[in-house]
Amino acid sequence: MSRLAGTRIATFGLLAAALVGLWQSLRLDRWSFDGPSAGFFPQLVAVVCVVLALIVLIAPGQGSATGEADDEGGGEDAGKSAETTRTFAIYSATFVVLSLGAMFTGFVVTAFAVSILIVHFAERRSWLAAIACGAVCAIVGLVCFGWLLRVELPETAIERAFYALVR
Amino acid sequence: MEALLGGFAVTLSLGNLFYCFVGVLLGTVVGILPGLGPLTTIAILLPITFKMDVTSAIIMLSGIYYGVAYGGTVTSVLMRIPGEASSVVTCLDGYEMARKGRAGAALGIAGIGSFIAGTAGVIGISFLSPPLAKLVLAFGPAEYAMLMLAGLTMVTYMSSGSLARALLMAAFGLLLGTVGSDPINMTQRLTFGVLALGDGVSLVPLAIGLFGLSEVLFMARQSADEMKILQPPSGLLGFLPSREEARRSVGPIARGTVMGFLVGLLPGGGAVLASFLSYGMERKLSKHPEEFGKGAVEGVAGPESANNAGTAGAFVPLLCMGIPANAITALLLGAFIIHGVTPGPTILERQPEIFWGVVASMYIGNVMLLILNLPMVGLFVRILEIPRAYLAPLILVVCLIGVYSSSGSGVDVLIAVIFGFVGYWLRRYGFDLGIVILAFVLGPIFERSVRQALAISDGDPSIFLHSYLSTGFAIVAAALLIAGLWPKRLGRAS
Repeated sequence: MSRLAGTRIATFGLLAAALVGLWQSLRLDRWSFDGPSAGFFPQLVAVVCVVLALIVLIAPGQGSATGEADDEGGGEDAGKSAETTRTFAIYSATFVVLSLGAMFTGFVVTAFAVSILIVHFAERRSWLAAIACGAVCAIVGLVCFGWLLRVELPETAIERAFYALVR
Repeated sequence: MEALLGGFAVTLSLGNLFYCFVGVLLGTVVGILPGLGPLTTIAILLPITFKMDVTSAIIMLSGIYYGVAYGGTVTSVLMRIPGEASSVVTCLDGYEMARKGRAGAALGIAGIGSFIAGTAGVIGISFLSPPLAKLVLAFGPAEYAMLMLAGLTMVTYMSSGSLARALLMAAFGLLLGTVGSDPINMTQRLTFGVLALGDGVSLVPLAIGLFGLSEVLFMARQSADEMKILQPPSGLLGFLPSREEARRSVGPIARGTVMGFLVGLLPGGGAVLASFLSYGMERKLSKHPEEFGKGAVEGVAGPESANNAGTAGAFVPLLCMGIPANAITALLLGAFIIHGVTPGPTILERQPEIFWGVVASMYIGNVMLLILNLPMVGLFVRILEIPRAYLAPLILVVCLIGVYSSSGSGVDVLIAVIFGFVGYWLRRYGFDLGIVILAFVLGPIFERSVRQALAISDGDPSIFLHSYLSTGFAIVAAALLIAGLWPKRLGRAS
């Protein structure tokens, strides 16, 4: 995908978000007896957002220095590009695992799942390395954060059993 | 002076000293690791500070912010890879010095310059903040609204991309800030009936998603090729610059300190801009401009002092006006607000122990950083040897802990993941995400000021031009917008 197309997709997304925001905010009162009401500011900002998104769509301009060069195709050889795409896809899948894990499987299982996905599947390291990495992540989280710092972690029977042992 | 001594009494407690040390140590480590910036780290650690005392929390988070400028130098000098944005310019001459066998001198000058500038910057905060806070007390809602508008406009103007994109990011941040309860009459807005959005989008999942998770996706696209690391000196004496290098560094350190601090005061300023401006200034003032880019010691001393002074300067508008100068101080403002403290002119009267405690911790933190950074640089360099395969899961797990612990809700993790993808896509195509966070944090305060001003004037918008101050801020905002549209800016951006 070219840089311009990527910019346009991003801007379309922002335009869609602004339009949805505008649609929602139009349901609110703009003004009441004591001055500007709840709808005033969101309506104003959403309109500004829509106008700016349209301007960027028409004239995308120069991106900020934080943006990276689009490296798909170009100088990269096909094998390396495919490998990068594969790695990226697995990293993305890890995010889904992360959000589902936080809701359903608890901290320890999620930490192991994330480590195995990244270390073994994305980075092609051994199973042993993946499991060891998962164990380190789980122990660091449970001991340092959950136990010592008393930070709230996603809990299932495993975490509760650990806390019952140490607290 | 008495208040500052009180601040030292707060900081010198064992707990606060520990948090100060943890902050500067983490800042150094984060500065060394390319890609993982202070914004990401502060976003990830923000929820962990919820159970801490507010002063300790801000001391630790501030330590990360100013510690990063020290750590970022190491990779710039030894690997030509900036660990952090404010150290980019140090790559040019620092690495060349290292190639000539002067790595120790480059790191030594950078460390000493950073210490002098950081300490001078904190002295600046100590003396400038009280009078500035008194001035800000005279502000009404219209002045505040215009000040924030001018600040936001300045940040968008300073952004390296096109003005329209930067303004779009600011508007997007403000729009996100309107989700949830209306700050005045608590009406639910833009929630689509989703209960979890009733309190709005929280700062923590937004910041961790936009910076922490998107960073992991960027890591996935980076090449895992071997990086060449030049070795730092093994003994302390190896860090001492020669007499000639020391003589040539005095002026750049002094100029970088003053200029960096002043740039740090500006919205949108801070360490990055200060270091670039200092480099340009030193090259212009140098008797040997041809040496720049080939190992000129002035090219290390000036920018390294400026970025530390700029970091310190950025604390003045945050603490005295409650207005963050950049995205990192916006997160620090978020940390203050989450802990129930509103920084601004009244903090000096109502909670002086927090203000002066944080200021005093910076004096101590700078000493800690000097001690940490010179003798232990060899140890820190070894952090770079951690492969991405093991670093990425650790970052993801810490992100999960950070988001979940902020609310105890899996929905926030989902929101962070969504913003992770959004942040990756926007960053990849050159949208500046720092502006989103800044606008998001400022949004509710800006809205309240605008609505209060309009309520006072019965809807008459000319209230924003009634006083000299608010008119001045409005002129600054308008001038920056016009300047941003000037064709020369296109050349600068490209």
